[in-house]
Amino acid sequence: MKGKQVPQTTSSATESLRAGNRVVAFGIAAIVLILLAAALFLFVNLPDANAFNAKVTQIFVDNDLRSNAELRLLEILAQSGTSFSEVLQSYRVVIFVLLVFATALLLAALVFLVTIVALNRRISAIQRSGIQVASMLISREGRAVYINDMEFALTEAALETLAVLAEARMDDEVLTGAQIESVISGRNEADCDEAAGATRVKRLRDTLGNQLVSELLVKTIARRGYMLAVGKDVIRMV
Amino acid sequence: MARVVVFIIALFVALPAQAECYADYKAKQDDPLRLAYGVAQVSDGNCDPGSAANELAPRLAQAGWLLLSVMSTFGPEGLSEREASAADHFLRY
Repeated sequence: MKGKQVPQTTSSATESLRAGNRVVAFGIAAIVLILLAAALFLFVNLPDANAFNAKVTQIFVDNDLRSNAELRLLEILAQSGTSFSEVLQSYRVVIFVLLVFATALLLAALVFLVTIVALNRRISAIQRSGIQVASMLISREGRAVYINDMEFALTEAALETLAVLAEARMDDEVLTGAQIESVISGRNEADCDEAAGATRVKRLRDTLGNQLVSELLVKTIARRGYMLAVGKDVIRMV
Repeated sequence: MARVVVFIIALFVALPAQAECYADYKAKQDDPLRLAYGVAQVSDGNCDPGSAANELAPRLAQAGWLLLSVMSTFGPEGLSEREASAADHFLRY
């Protein structure tokens, strides 16, 4: 039961990815098949040089042409047709190149289409999940943290707490309050109080959370007042 | 006297057998395309276009020509009017 539930939470992302891959594979196969069929059809249906000779021969048989001059004239006709066969050869090459281009363009279009669909899904997921931290730069000298290029000023203590948490995150570690306190104060973990660390986290949340909300949600407009930084059309009251 | 009569009769009987049969035909060569109108003698037994074609086709093929059609078969009286048209191919094969 538990083993079944875990993949369910992550299924939406991987499943859509797999579906997208299947669409791409089928699409590529379909495009290549269709254009290959078109190419074959074109090549097969292009008349070869002998078509002119055959036509001239047909004319010769069907009509009562027998004098020498008439026959030479027919031969010349056939020869001029045969010289056109070189043009046909170049047509073949041009058609082939165009078909290859068409295939490449269609493939690119398909890949872009699928990418756009995937990106749209991702963007809507991001929009739903609220703030997504794409970058976080902790500047000890400037005593500030840059989240998504937004600057938030922090106190020395809050900056220290954030730095400790950031380092622990990079090592994929979870810190208890006592551990945080021990890292910052330099004392042994056994001597540290859990509550002291919790207080540090609370202070960090207060300063950073306050600024985050004022930056993203409740904006202060200088000398005028306050305004929600939310689109009009997304607000609903129940 | 009777001998002479027999001889004359024999002459008249033999005459149709000796009647020469000719066919005029159309033939071609490929690469480059060459067309020909020709007249050829065929054996008396094949004095119709169908069997004349059967007889002529191998003879022309030996010379590198592909027989397209036999137009008609005729006796010696038709030769002169076709000689000019057939030119090189007059009684050649």
